[in-house]
Formats: sequence, structure tokens, C-alpha cells
Amino acid sequence: MKAWLHSVRVLVWKDLLQEWRSRDILTSMLAFAVLSLFIFNYALELSPINRAEIAPGVIWVVMVFAGTLGLNRSFTAEQDQGCFEGLMMAVPDLSAIYFAKLLTNLLMMVFLAVLVIPIYSLLYNQSLFNQAFFGVLILGAWGYSAAGTLIASMTVQTRMRDLLLPVLLFPLLLPVNMAVVKSCGVILGSVAGQDIHGWLNLLLVYDIVVTILSIMVFEYVIQE
Amino acid sequence: MSSRNKLLPLLSVLASLLLLFAFLRVLFFTPVEQTMGLVQKVFYFHMSAAWVGMLAFLAAAVFGLLYLSRRDMKWDTLTAASVEVGLLFTIICILSGMIWARPIWNTWWTWDPRLTTVTIMAFTYIAFILLRRGVDNPTRRARFSAVYAVIGFISVPLTFFSARLLRTIHPVVFGSGEADMNLNPQMLGTLFISLGAFTVLYAALLLHRSRLMAEQEALNQQLAADDSHYDWGE
Repeated sequence: MKAWLHSVRVLVWKDLLQEWRSRDILTSMLAFAVLSLFIFNYALELSPINRAEIAPGVIWVVMVFAGTLGLNRSFTAEQDQGCFEGLMMAVPDLSAIYFAKLLTNLLMMVFLAVLVIPIYSLLYNQSLFNQAFFGVLILGAWGYSAAGTLIASMTVQTRMRDLLLPVLLFPLLLPVNMAVVKSCGVILGSVAGQDIHGWLNLLLVYDIVVTILSIMVFEYVIQE
Repeated sequence: MSSRNKLLPLLSVLASLLLLFAFLRVLFFTPVEQTMGLVQKVFYFHMSAAWVGMLAFLAAAVFGLLYLSRRDMKWDTLTAASVEVGLLFTIICILSGMIWARPIWNTWWTWDPRLTTVTIMAFTYIAFILLRRGVDNPTRRARFSAVYAVIGFISVPLTFFSARLLRTIHPVVFGSGEADMNLNPQMLGTLFISLGAFTVLYAALLLHRSRLMAEQEALNQQLAADDSHYDWGE
């Protein structure tokens, strides 16, 4: 267990360091996210009245779409440089690779949220600084990264690569999308006080089930 | 293969007869529902198709797990065949539901949780077929298919429970407490016959499709082997 935790920490550090040195992915994700906010502005005619209602939907969709950019990249370095074998030999258990990639993707999503929320608040003059809202976004980002990391580890080995990721991933994300958007709507007060415990439970159950399931099947994806 | 060859015609004939029987019973020997009228009769096939769709996806997940533990290509063929058949029945379910919804809800489509989840479930398995097309190496394709069939199965219980847990206008037939649909014993009998007929049809189609896939694969391998022997006149 100690060796497992250590290798997860080293792998996350490696990926973050690699990203910090190039900053390719994060800058693209951020540019894409801000661009999407502008597109949403005129696509949806965001007047101050309906703005509050669709803020959770807009923020989440922006994060999901920008997130696919990061997911698509999360295994390409290993695949292109042929480091997978080395990585597989270096860890005590293959699930450490999955878990490290999951954490890296989650951290990128959280970092994205930290940047997008103030930008949205600034541009649309609507404060989204709300702890519960941020908490739900993190839970959503966890479920997103848990499913996304597994799917990305498969699509990187297919002929179509980037093309296939959203097609495979988005149907699986339906519970996350519903739960995040519905419960954030209630938290931000745009939907009259419904009970959100059911949605939060669904989100939590999804996160746990998908993470465990992915850890179990991950070795079949990367081991020939 | 020989035992399957005997089983297959038997299953096919049985499925045809049962389907004909269910069809006749739905049309002529089941009372017309009082408020909905004749269009309610599509329900017997609608629910049977929904049942077979979910059963097929469950079977695909089980076949996927069997492949991962046994590494026998037979299970991969069954996984893929089950998904294809299940997808077909899910689409039948969606289309027949639309035919029912037009006069009853006065619209072909509405964004109800049940309708949304079942369609997303269909998209999940369309993605499964795209995934298979994207991988050339047969064993890798088999591994990915098995993993995706297991993960994708999440969408099935979600669809099943959506009409029970979320606020929905879709009728719940069994276990709702309050009866959305009052089925008299005769209607219930017809429903069960239809469910049975569709289940046998599923088994027959599954075996047909997996046999076809296996033969196609064998043919491909033979062609590849012949190709390598062929002297291209150099």
C-alpha cells in the first residue's frame, strides 16, 4: 500500500511537472473555455433574467468540453514515446497508473474551475463564489475524470483516437451531467428549493462505482 | 458447432411460432383498453422490446466478463452479437413508444427522464459498435469491447429505475404501488406471452448473429492465409 501510494504520488508529480514545463494542455483548455463562454453569450442570448437559470449548465458544459482536450492528451505522451512498458514495470500494481492519471485529470479540472468561475462571475456580473457549488463541481469533475481516464486509455490505442473519446464518454456521463446541473441549479437559487440529496447521492454513488469498476478493468485495457 | 446447428433451426421455428401467437393474441384476443383505445396494443411489443434490449445488454456485460476471465474469442463474439441485437430492440422500443406517445401525449417526443435515459443507453451501445470498428487487432478489440460492455452497463439500471425514482410521465407497469396502467388478467397474460416470445426471439437472433460473426472471422483468416501463399508474379 505504501509503495502504491508512493508511485501514485510520483506519477502525478511527473505529469504535473511535465505539464508545468510546457503548459500546452492547460492553456488550450483555458482558452477554449473562455472562448466557449463568449460563444454561449450570443448563442443563448444571455439576458440578465435567464442568466441565473442556466449558469450551472453553461459552466458544466464548458468544463466538460474543455476537459476532453486534457483527457485526450493524458495518455498520448506514454503512447507516442513508447513508455507504457516502462511505466507498467515501474509500478507495484497497474491500478496505480490509473489512479495517478485520474488524480492528474481531476486536478486539471479543478484548476480549470478555479479559473473559469471568476471569469464567468466577472463577465456575466453574477457571483458564483459559493462553496457548495464548488464542492458539487469537484464531485462532478471526479466522476468525469474517473470515466474519462478509463475511456482515454482505450481510445489512445484505437485508430480514431481523439474522435472516439467524446462518442464513448458522453453517454456514460449522463448521471453526472444531470446530477451536477440539477443540484447546482438549486444551490445557486435559480430553481425553487428542491431537495438535492437524491442528486448528490447519485453523484457520489456514480463516482465510487465508476472508480472501483475502472480500477478493476484497467489492467485489461493496457496489458496485451 | 453441430449441437448449435440442431438448436438453431429449432429456436428459429419456435420464435416464429411464438411471435405469431403473441401477435394474434394481441390483435384479436385481448380487450381494447378503455381510455387509450387501440393504440394501447403497441404497448405489449413496446415493453417486450424494452425488456429484450436490457436483457441483451446485461448478457453482453456477462459475456464481456467471461471473455476477460477466460480469454476465449467465443465470448467476444457473443458480447458483440448481444449488443447488436439489444441495440436493434432498443430502437424498436423507442420507435414503438413514439407511435404510442403521439396520440396519448400528443407529441412524438418529450424530454422525459425515461425517454432521455433510454436514448442515451442506445447511444452508449452505438458507441460500442464504433469502438469495435476503430480497433484492428482482434484480441485488443475483444478486450476493449468487454471493458466497454461492462462500464456501459451503468446506463441500463439507470434507464430501468429512471421511471421509478425521478418525476416522469412514463407509466410504470410493475411495482409502482399505484397502478398507472390497469391491466386485467387477460391483458397481463398477453403481456407475458409477448415477453416470452421476444425472449426466445432474442436467443435465436443472438445465436444466428454470433454464428455469422464467427464464420465471417474464419473466412477472413482463411482469405488472409490464402493471400500470403499467393505468388504475386514477382
